[in-house]
Amino acid sequence: MAPLIPQGFINPDLSLFFAFVIGLGFGYVLEQGGFSTSRKLAGVFYGYDFVVLRVFFTAAITAAIGLLLFNYMGWVNYDLLYINPTFLWSAIVGGVIMGFGFILGGFCPGTSMVAAIIGKIDAMLFILGMMGGIFFFGAFYNTFEPLYNGSALGSIFVFDSLGLPRDLFLFLLVVIALAAFIITRKIEDKVNGIQSEKGLFHSSYVLPFAFMSGLALLILILPDQPKAKWYESDPESLLVEVVSGDRYMQPEELAYKILHPDENDLVIVDVRPAEAFRQFRLPGAINIPLDNIQSRENRRRLKNTGKEILLYSHGSTSADQAWMFLRRAGLDNIRVLKGGLNNFFTGFFAEQEIPASGKYSEKEQFERRFVERAAKAFREGEASRKTPSAAQPVRTLINIQPPAAGKGGC
Amino acid sequence: MNPYLAGFLLGMVLLASFFITGRGLGASGAAKSVVIESIGRVSPEYAQKHPFYASFFATGDGRPMKNWLVYLTLGVLGGAFFSGFMSGRAGLKIDKGPRISNRTRLIMAAAGGFLFGLGSQFGRGCTSGAALSGMATLSSAGFLTMIAIFGTGYVIAYFFRKLWIS
Repeated sequence: MAPLIPQGFINPDLSLFFAFVIGLGFGYVLEQGGFSTSRKLAGVFYGYDFVVLRVFFTAAITAAIGLLLFNYMGWVNYDLLYINPTFLWSAIVGGVIMGFGFILGGFCPGTSMVAAIIGKIDAMLFILGMMGGIFFFGAFYNTFEPLYNGSALGSIFVFDSLGLPRDLFLFLLVVIALAAFIITRKIEDKVNGIQSEKGLFHSSYVLPFAFMSGLALLILILPDQPKAKWYESDPESLLVEVVSGDRYMQPEELAYKILHPDENDLVIVDVRPAEAFRQFRLPGAINIPLDNIQSRENRRRLKNTGKEILLYSHGSTSADQAWMFLRRAGLDNIRVLKGGLNNFFTGFFAEQEIPASGKYSEKEQFERRFVERAAKAFREGEASRKTPSAAQPVRTLINIQPPAAGKGGC
Repeated sequence: MNPYLAGFLLGMVLLASFFITGRGLGASGAAKSVVIESIGRVSPEYAQKHPFYASFFATGDGRPMKNWLVYLTLGVLGGAFFSGFMSGRAGLKIDKGPRISNRTRLIMAAAGGFLFGLGSQFGRGCTSGAALSGMATLSSAGFLTMIAIFGTGYVIAYFFRKLWIS
């Protein structure tokens, strides 16, 4: 059922209200966590106070585990979450600059807001400086642009980058965080000249330890998804749909839409292998081979088009398989070209039999004219046999994407 | 407040944010909206033609301030003020290390803010928007930014120790 706003469960106009309410919680917890003092924040770099590290890591891991559990239970559709896109060098350079800013300023943007509102003058100066920095970036945007938009790797996941299974990565992350909690406690006690406890466990982190390790273990040992998620179609209703055949689009309807771009609201998806697509394709079609249709990225993009999707293959089999998968994954508004390309061509390119009488009825004449016109248009247009060449630009899903719904986090 | 409890609660706020809106938290975005709105007021033509600013006038009814992150930050201000006021921490004050003057502290705070503002544009978010929210969704960008911020901090901390420790 979630995320609620992207799914349309909550009016987008209300999202600003929710932003305010979430902000209240964010601000309250940051202030209570002690993030309103620059000296405390800077302590993480000098070993006298590691509160930042404790709060930051606990929060990140709690949310990460929570999201995966919600996803497991089927309460959140991970495909619809905003995953920060990775621009390799821009992220590194930005992080390094921010590291300098952290040491000099003693705040990060969120904490400076928290500190400024309760009267910290240094935080107010920090915010003014921050606006100056943003203005500076905008003023020299043309210089920065190649770095800013360069080395784009898309919305990739860290466990994929590291080549680890997701759940194992999360488990290791929890172990690392817990180890860091113990080590930083020892360092902190030493720097501040406090007698450290004998045992490894400090009473303040026994509970979070048990809780987080428990959840991480749970994720690690849980079997694969037990049941359909809420947004997935259940098998019974899917079966009814399969039998009904409502998904099929007749070749005539498709031809009409291709010939009348104004009335064409279709995203035409060719599910044949890329090689076959390069040799021949319907006008305006994009290629997602059947093997790739299951990828998260493709599913999300198809869902985001907001248009009717038409699948086709040589016959109907591959397209039907793709239809079945996408329907099960919760996409609706998907059609399949009846009989596939083969049927489409018999309809438009094969010689028509002339009736024995030698005359067409009015209706037949009308249909014939349409067929001839379509065949002519297709022969002259894009739908003619093409020699395979690598240079030919292949239209991909990215080209038809509407602009991203939300811009990045901070 | 116990830092682990605070972290857990912050994690819950973050989770609620994802659950309701599909995205995480952010803070520098609001500052950005203020900057862009100001530029739009001063010179609408420049802002509309600028490749970086123009997209912000294309969304939210063309008003950069009608933005999710702006309202989030308004909430942050409200929540923090409530917390600080109730705990008796509100009041004009400058926090600094023992060895520097107020003037040095304020100059350094502004300089640090400048760098953070600049860096958060490259990083597509700050510690909350890029690092924290990015780590919660296990995105590579989140971990990369987090490591770059804190890694740099530790590497250079020694050279700036005069600012913070005696």
